[in-house]
Amino acid sequence: MYRVFDRVFTQLVKILTICSLLTLVFVIIFIFKESVVFFKAVPVLRFISGRSWNPLLAADNLSILNIILGTLYVSLVAIVLALPIGVGSALLLAGYVKGQLRVVIRGIIDVLAGIPSVVYGFIGLLVLVKFFETTLGLSSGESVLAGGILLAVMVLPYIISTCHESMEKIYREHAPSSQALGVSRSYLLRKIILPESRRSILAATVLALGRAMGETMAVMMVIGNAPIPPRLFGKCQTIPSLIALEMGMAEVGSLHYHALFASGLVLMLMLLVINLILYFLKKNILLQ
Amino acid sequence: MKRLGSLFLITLLALVVVVTGCAGTDQSPEKTNDASKPETMFKAQITFNGSSTLAPVISAIATDFIEKYTTWNKVDPSFPEENIAIYVSAGGSGAGVKAVLEETSDFGMLAREIKDEERQKLGDMREFRIGIDALTISVNPENPLSKVKDDLTTEEVKKIFAGEYKYWDEVESSLPHREIVVVIRDLGGGAHEVFQKAVMGDTQVRSDAIQAPSMGALVAKVIENKDAIGYASFGMVNQNAGKLVPLKVDGVEPTEENIVNGTYKISRPLIVVKKGELSPEQKAFMDVVTSEVGAAIIDKMGFVPVR
Repeated sequence: MYRVFDRVFTQLVKILTICSLLTLVFVIIFIFKESVVFFKAVPVLRFISGRSWNPLLAADNLSILNIILGTLYVSLVAIVLALPIGVGSALLLAGYVKGQLRVVIRGIIDVLAGIPSVVYGFIGLLVLVKFFETTLGLSSGESVLAGGILLAVMVLPYIISTCHESMEKIYREHAPSSQALGVSRSYLLRKIILPESRRSILAATVLALGRAMGETMAVMMVIGNAPIPPRLFGKCQTIPSLIALEMGMAEVGSLHYHALFASGLVLMLMLLVINLILYFLKKNILLQ
Repeated sequence: MKRLGSLFLITLLALVVVVTGCAGTDQSPEKTNDASKPETMFKAQITFNGSSTLAPVISAIATDFIEKYTTWNKVDPSFPEENIAIYVSAGGSGAGVKAVLEETSDFGMLAREIKDEERQKLGDMREFRIGIDALTISVNPENPLSKVKDDLTTEEVKKIFAGEYKYWDEVESSLPHREIVVVIRDLGGGAHEVFQKAVMGDTQVRSDAIQAPSMGALVAKVIENKDAIGYASFGMVNQNAGKLVPLKVDGVEPTEENIVNGTYKISRPLIVVKKGELSPEQKAFMDVVTSEVGAAIIDKMGFVPVR
């Protein structure tokens, strides 16, 4: 009798797994199918290397190089800002903060990850963009930097929790011997824990990059959405915000509509590459 | 057992494919059949398709209507006791006309004039002008432009949005030398289409204009940034009276009167079309849409109702 239950359970779990896999397959097939229509009208290369995006003109004017660059630029600014802060916090949590306080701080950082992105966007619009306009004297505060700062705050929890886990493990491993040798704690953190956890720092970077590139709402509210070549204090456009901005109005079945799917496909491929990198990094960490 | 298991899986997979394949289409053939039946058949269902500008308005009126009556017999005792169902889907004005022609939906929603060829194809049709969507050229109240001159010509507006005028002092020499911040809606959207047609013509808007994700965001930007100029919808300007200043265009002030009589030109009509005669239940709903209740909702959504 138990064996029957066992089998039923195993099959059920298998079916559920296949369902989730199928969902992914269907999403990919669907996006691919919708994109192909556009690629028949405009060659792939032209689509990703052209610099103009204007849905009012002919389909030739739908190309997303500026938008791809914008996506990467905003995400990289976010990583550059968030990485030192994130790694620093993780080191502090691993080395200096103990017991109850650590649990509380980790909890607060996790809450940071749970705040809806539209709330971040709203704060960004009212505080960050306004600050750029009044204090820095920019004519319009919507900029790559505003998006980068906002995203940095949003990816911080991911960086901290990924780094903290492995740092804590390494700390526990080496703490007794370093104490026996009489080495100071900061020496241990600097010379052993930081170099030893470089792979997890890299993994955290890639994870955060993927998260930053896919973020839609918060970024859309602070970058100005102008498909021009991105500059640090200039406006830009990212792929997720482009899709969110225009999908609602694009006429179903038009080339514009299919072009939006095509840019979604490009984003998905970019994220896929990043996730593959993450996968290989993780594998190497385990092999270590 | 293993074989049985995999057989089961294959069946399940096949089922999944069949079910998902059907999901998109299983309603439309039914509707088409309904529509081709004689009008004497009572239909508890009314379908709308078309402009995404108008869709939320009809949706809001429909929600109101359904909440008030729930079943048809409460609308009119002669109707059977069936639940009211009104479906609104958005696919653009063109799709609205197409849906009516192919009889996949009862009504089409347009946020533009009906083209002559469309009129010909539709033949016997009913047209309801329920409102007007107007855009005002608005600036921040702190912008001295609104004091120096509250009137721009179409040509000036065009030059500002195209990026030919980069600084405010190029528009009017007494203004400060500050960069003009142009705020627009997404280029493919309905609001921009009106502006493009009425003002820009073939000229393109400067590519570094801020594209606001919603009309609310556009208005917020003009309120926040004192160098900003944007085309705020008439309704939104009224809701935020005093926080942003609508300018005259070619000497015509964007007032309700000027918009309705057509002197203010940056606007477009909101039209509902129906091919052939309306059934009594469809008429009952359209009566509400064109009534004072409908007008109040249209007004609330930021458009000018045609009373």
